[in-house]
Amino acid sequence: MKYLDFINKQICKTVLKPKKIVLFGQNITAGSHLGGLTKKLQVNDKSKIINSTNSENSLCGFGFGLMMNNVSSVFFMKQLDFLLLGIDHLVNTYNIIRSTKNDLKSSFTIMPIIVDNGYQGPQSSFNNFADICSIARIPGYAISTKFEAEKIISEKLISPGFRIIGISQRLFKNEINELRAIKRNKNLTLIQYAKGSNVTIVCFNFSFSIGYELLQKFHERKIKSSLFNITSLVPISWKTIIEDVKKTKNLIVIDDSKSQNVACDNLISQILINNNLINVQIIRRSIDDNWLKPNLDNLEINVSKIIKKLSN
Amino acid sequence: MAKNSKKIIEQVLQVRLSQMLINEEYKNGKFKIPIHLGFGHESISVAVSNIMKKNDELILSHRNASYNLARIKKLKPIIDEYLLKSSGLMNSKTGSMNLINPKLGIIYSSSILGNNFSVAVGVSMAQKISNKNNITIVLGGDGSIEEGSFYESLLMLKTLKLSSLIIIENNEWSMSTKINERRHSIDLKKFSNSLGIKYIKMKNNNPFEYIKTLTKLRIQCIKEKTPIVIEVFLSTLGEWKLMTTDFPNGKLINYHAGPTPSVDLEKCQIKIRENIDDPIYVIENEINGKIEDLVKPILKKLKSEIK
Repeated sequence: MKYLDFINKQICKTVLKPKKIVLFGQNITAGSHLGGLTKKLQVNDKSKIINSTNSENSLCGFGFGLMMNNVSSVFFMKQLDFLLLGIDHLVNTYNIIRSTKNDLKSSFTIMPIIVDNGYQGPQSSFNNFADICSIARIPGYAISTKFEAEKIISEKLISPGFRIIGISQRLFKNEINELRAIKRNKNLTLIQYAKGSNVTIVCFNFSFSIGYELLQKFHERKIKSSLFNITSLVPISWKTIIEDVKKTKNLIVIDDSKSQNVACDNLISQILINNNLINVQIIRRSIDDNWLKPNLDNLEINVSKIIKKLSN
Repeated sequence: MAKNSKKIIEQVLQVRLSQMLINEEYKNGKFKIPIHLGFGHESISVAVSNIMKKNDELILSHRNASYNLARIKKLKPIIDEYLLKSSGLMNSKTGSMNLINPKLGIIYSSSILGNNFSVAVGVSMAQKISNKNNITIVLGGDGSIEEGSFYESLLMLKTLKLSSLIIIENNEWSMSTKINERRHSIDLKKFSNSLGIKYIKMKNNNPFEYIKTLTKLRIQCIKEKTPIVIEVFLSTLGEWKLMTTDFPNGKLINYHAGPTPSVDLEKCQIKIRENIDDPIYVIENEINGKIEDLVKPILKKLKSEIK
């Protein structure tokens, strides 16, 4: 089955479950139905499908308003760059809600299509899904495989809270990759598809098909590979990959995004540090449950501790 | 004076006096957080609080102090929140600009201009889909209507047929600049009407008239399943002089800022000046000048609350 058709099927199945849900977005019930993403959508009697106005900023606020008043919703969006218009809500509104409401019973999910086919000029330049998630530590999931489509849509699309689920336009007409996962973390942000002793391959953003191709080519040459896909950056523990690299001693990182700061840099720095290849101290904020409360906001340092850790 | 009238007058005075006590603490440097008070907003705040029914929802902006005070009718939980104490209204989670009170219907306050309009659209849609016969009330200032989200949200409210009151507080000031010094005027009536939305202008800050008008509009917007825009003219009663090289003799600013107003509460000096738009002046006219008799017990009660 094609990538897009499979995702559409999973969405249609999932949105039928809740008694009350609002599905909205521009042209989701008209024309191409966002290239087919939202075709044949159906909801229960008390729910609503809205072919909305072209108001991306306000549509983000709309979803948050529904969620805080106990109605779940999904905002389907034609292009990731449209979401730039809603950044105020992704940061400010989301922060206000999560700092004051611990008992959310409903969900708000934004599902943008990442326009990564390259032929839309400037609009194709913004293809780094992790960028938009990182801005406010938003849970995000980039779907590359059948396993991810099944698990992420069924477990995350309408579960309480807010998240963004991204899909790749470049993959729309491809057969969906049916490789089964052998390991996943709880949050579905780190998924392992193969285990080998010679090389560790880690894929970011929507580069999984390249990683899979390498896995197959290496296999032909008797090179045994571990293969990971990272669906999101925030927050993530690299422990599983670091342990794997310690065994294989070889790391291949693939990231197809175009931003200056890319998610794979975070993994690389952690691997260098954990293998004692360099002495690095990272001084940054420790984020706890109170990070959104009014506070002094100073980044505190312990100079003597820093000096002690310096290598001579 | 009728019992109910006295109650409304006391509420207006309580909101004014509470803000004055907060402001005195502000001037003493007691707060680490920024606080945006609403001197001059007392009548509209009390009116909104009084017309709200169970399950109506109120969405506020950063200038939410007078509304929070009008709803809760106490000072201590608010001042404790501003002091970031765990005994604060929101357990010190929000401070001032995002202060809410979900139990009393204040479910969202935004510190970003224009941000709260679209959240109100979602809140109102949830009321509709849940078959609640209630309204969403959203507050904004004359500055917030310059934001694109104001237009987007009005369009959505009208398109989705959502019962809501959009109250725009117009004090004609934007920080230390008069609105007409900064931008072209906005005819909010024409603007609203262009989207097929009814517009109502309210002025004079009489709480009784405001309650009467808002009660009718609440029923109308539920019956007709429509948003209604209300523009309230008020003054924030700052009255201080800005001294800059552009204004060597000082420029009169009538916009509340930290150090102002300068008052002596012991002398019951609760009017900032003889301003016919000041809700206190309006109340004085209603009760024939006996305001001190009403002020003293309220002030005593508030002071004992925060002692």
